[in-house]
Amino acid sequence: MPRIGRIFIFLGCIGAVGILGLKAWPIGSAPRPGALEEIEGSVDRGAYLARASGCIACHSNFDEGRAPLSGGAPLETDFGVFYPPNLTTDPEHGLGNWTVSDFARAVRQGVSPEGDPYYPTFTYPFYSEFTDRDIADLWAAFLTVPPISEPAPEHETTFPFDQRWGLKLWRAVFLSEPDTGSDPARSDDWNRGRWLVRGAAHCGACHTDRNLAGARVAKREFAGNENLPGGKSAPSIRPAELLDSGWDVSNLAYSLRTGITPEGDVFGGSMAEVVNFGTAFLSDADLTAIATYIMDSDLSGD
Amino acid sequence: MQFKTWIAAAAISSIGFAAFAHSGASGVVKKRMDAMGEMGKAMKTLTPMMQGQTDYEPDVVRSAAETILGHAGAEMTSQFPEGSNGKPSEALDVIWKDWMTFEALADALQVRAEGLKLAADNGLAQPGAGLGVEGTMSGQAMMGSGHAMMGGSQGMMGGSQGMMGVSTGQMMSAEMLAEMPANAAFMAVTQVCSACHQKFRAEED
Repeated sequence: MPRIGRIFIFLGCIGAVGILGLKAWPIGSAPRPGALEEIEGSVDRGAYLARASGCIACHSNFDEGRAPLSGGAPLETDFGVFYPPNLTTDPEHGLGNWTVSDFARAVRQGVSPEGDPYYPTFTYPFYSEFTDRDIADLWAAFLTVPPISEPAPEHETTFPFDQRWGLKLWRAVFLSEPDTGSDPARSDDWNRGRWLVRGAAHCGACHTDRNLAGARVAKREFAGNENLPGGKSAPSIRPAELLDSGWDVSNLAYSLRTGITPEGDVFGGSMAEVVNFGTAFLSDADLTAIATYIMDSDLSGD
Repeated sequence: MQFKTWIAAAAISSIGFAAFAHSGASGVVKKRMDAMGEMGKAMKTLTPMMQGQTDYEPDVVRSAAETILGHAGAEMTSQFPEGSNGKPSEALDVIWKDWMTFEALADALQVRAEGLKLAADNGLAQPGAGLGVEGTMSGQAMMGSGHAMMGGSQGMMGGSQGMMGVSTGQMMSAEMLAEMPANAAFMAVTQVCSACHQKFRAEED
């Protein structure tokens, strides 16, 4: 056999073993047994966190008249069309058969109860520092959602993006913890804002450029993104650009409540959704915290 | 002399053309863009006032509300004849696919702007301190979209009600708004702007 042929067979074997290995490679980890079950979640706090985290905005499609959280509007990306799934308590099409540990693993680690990785259109990397308390609260709130026995459509992806094991490589290369920790040198508002902006509210999911693999580019943190799903774009939310456009802590907080910009315009499109289904429900204190952090954010990679 | 006239005419027409080329809009599209611009100007005046950052002046509020009223309802929908889509307009085609919702939002804007006008003398909920949590909460509760924070089994279900409240024009009459602090009525107006822009306006490139 010619040498080149042997090389191909060799590479093919390695590839096959590699893929089998990837398929079998367990991802995510189980929480400490019983820890989550011990906490009695607060529905109110969980619903609030679900608002802040965009669960309701993304997993609902009000335009199509679907019930809240029964499946969101499709996201058209370079990798395919993704349909945010049904998160109601329906046992078949929603998460009615899940345990709180399943839920924790899905939200914090992006891993399904079956052990499959979720696509990063689901913004789980921002939620990975949620505490057990946060998870228990969210779970309590989700359990109040009436079951809707209607599946969300299957994702429409083509090879190779339909191979979920590929996402394990993606995770290994790109997945990192969000910078939501506190800085004792900063104010409480700033730290709370940091937790919300870099965590739950996941502002960077849209306001940061992504690379060819769909991972956020650290150096472009908050600098905007011209290539969002559906051909949309998000402007820079770096302090310098915001100051130039007339933003300050007060009018930014107010815009997250009302949608009004310093120019008297009112947000449209995706940002209107963020406000109308998310931030409009947050407390004044949290909106001020978000604005305080955004107007003075610590950018990484510069 | 004739030459100068010619130059002047050329200069004037080129300025005119530049202005035209700048927005690229003409006819009904230009007219509705100007109307939106006027409403934006009114909102820009009101926004700091409603936050207690500038002196509260009922007359200014009334006059801004009248500006919005003048562009709302049937006046608004008349500016969007079928076929007036496409560049440079930012209006999405879905307006004409879902005309009923668009019409309902235009009507809701009229009702709420009327409410704001009537509420102008009520002043702010918390003068000088912006809108406090209490004001916000009662405002949202009135609009049927505050349940998410108020809990119980309604916990996760607030959103669609809020949106439906806006788009069908239910839940709120001008008389109801007339009883509210002006900043709450103002917020009711902004909700309609936002709901309409969310569904019917293209995102900027």
